[in-house]
Amino acid sequence: MRSSIALHVDDVCTYVGKTVLVNNATFDVKAGEIIGLIGPNGAGKTTIMKTILGLMKFKGKIEVNGKNVSENDHHALTRVGALIEHPAIYPFLTGMQNLTLYAHDQKDMANLISELQMDSYINNKAKGYSLGMKQKLGIAIALLNQPQVVILDEPMNGLDIESTIRVRKLIKRYSDQGTAFLISSHILSELQKVMTRVVLISGGQIILNKEVAEFEKISHQKYHLTTENNKLAKKIFAAYQITFTENENYLIVSQNDIYKIEDLLFNEGVHLKEILPLEANLERIVVDVLEKKRG
Amino acid sequence: MIYSIKQELYKLVHRKITWIAAIILFFLMLITGFALADESKKLILTLTFDSSDFIMFILVIVGATCFSMEFQNNTILTLLYKSSNKIYVYLSKYIVLFLYDIFLHLLVLFYTICLRYTIFNYQVNWSASYLYHQPVWLNMITASLIDLVTTMLIIATVFLLSCLINSSAIVITASLLVTFMGQSISSDLMNGGKLVNIMKWNPFNMVDLTRQYGNYGMYVLTTHLNNQELLVGSLIYIFIFIIAGYFIFRRKRF
Repeated sequence: MRSSIALHVDDVCTYVGKTVLVNNATFDVKAGEIIGLIGPNGAGKTTIMKTILGLMKFKGKIEVNGKNVSENDHHALTRVGALIEHPAIYPFLTGMQNLTLYAHDQKDMANLISELQMDSYINNKAKGYSLGMKQKLGIAIALLNQPQVVILDEPMNGLDIESTIRVRKLIKRYSDQGTAFLISSHILSELQKVMTRVVLISGGQIILNKEVAEFEKISHQKYHLTTENNKLAKKIFAAYQITFTENENYLIVSQNDIYKIEDLLFNEGVHLKEILPLEANLERIVVDVLEKKRG
Repeated sequence: MIYSIKQELYKLVHRKITWIAAIILFFLMLITGFALADESKKLILTLTFDSSDFIMFILVIVGATCFSMEFQNNTILTLLYKSSNKIYVYLSKYIVLFLYDIFLHLLVLFYTICLRYTIFNYQVNWSASYLYHQPVWLNMITASLIDLVTTMLIIATVFLLSCLINSSAIVITASLLVTFMGQSISSDLMNGGKLVNIMKWNPFNMVDLTRQYGNYGMYVLTTHLNNQELLVGSLIYIFIFIIAGYFIFRRKRF
């Protein structure tokens, strides 16, 4: 079950009139997998999500658990939960009534209320909710009825630290039970804590689709080093045309130049105090990948 | 489809306006009763204290906000992906509004009977022969059934406008204009003389169906159509407007 494909997106192009918003998007989400959909503003993240939900005109193939999704046939989406753009909440209903509107199982609903700690205000009208309260209610709606696929667009928006941790735990628990997640977020460090795979999108095109571990290796291609005399080291790098960037107390260099640097510094008598691979930092990796793409 | 209808009913039942409108309706009928003190009591009972206009007004407001609230609250996306086909979203709203329309008409009949026996105490025999050689009670039931058709035409118009225009304020204004000024627009269209035979089938003319049932001699001169023709015309326009509204809704970008 865990290795089965829950969501299959194959060569999907999304259109508005003649404008192509998403171009040839292809990726799979396996049951239990948490995909982080990342990319700059206007990259097409929300458009892909809306397309999967059959809300936009598209070409290509989208399957949820082997069943086809089209713009006018959403039968395959019966066990899909989603939070797109803003929480879909009726302000004239209480939180409980908003959940009841979609819930098939009262016990499931009660569990979500308790796990997201919404008990104290769930019977109040939603029009009085703060952004964070609305967001939690929106997430609860998406997670109702034991969905097989969940699509969350910026789920951590407006959440405080405690709620963020609760939502993260909930996502992990559902994923352990086999629910597939497609999550977009601007808080990449938060996404990094839950996702198992990264899909990077830019200009409507998927430019990277990798397991998180594999993705993090990219960052290890850079090292930071500290010497006894960083000034002299910089002069040496400049003389030998070694590319480097400078931070407060250390220099960042490429993995490819490491052996050359070690030799050069040794020959010039500069003592190398420390050399370490850079820790994976999703934000920096994304920026690097996007910059590379832009040339 | 049943799931969508249940959801729409749940929302309608939990909206304040649904119940407030029903209460306001009573007071409007009461005021009308006092205002029409000199009119024929049989006519007042037949037209259920002229409640048709009030029901139309309520349906325009509830109908227009029916779609606009979904756009304003971003719930339209959830509604669309959770239903297996877009037509279910559209039709379920229409069906639920039709059920609300029936509820309002039943309520109006109840209010009429209550007012007849209490506050106004009209000395009218229900079985006395009145319009179309039918007893008053049958006139009242028939007028209500006819009004159901007229109000469904109004709802279909509101839905069509809601799919074309996102602002509920504009939809409400335009719908009220059609409802209450339709007669003069229709008269203007038929002023040409030569084209009367064609122009009498314009949709604005159909809005007068209930009024014409209650006062045939006066209204037939302006509509140029008999009751049956108005009824058939209304049903055809309901069908056309529902289909047109759905096609616009289907092509709408969310």
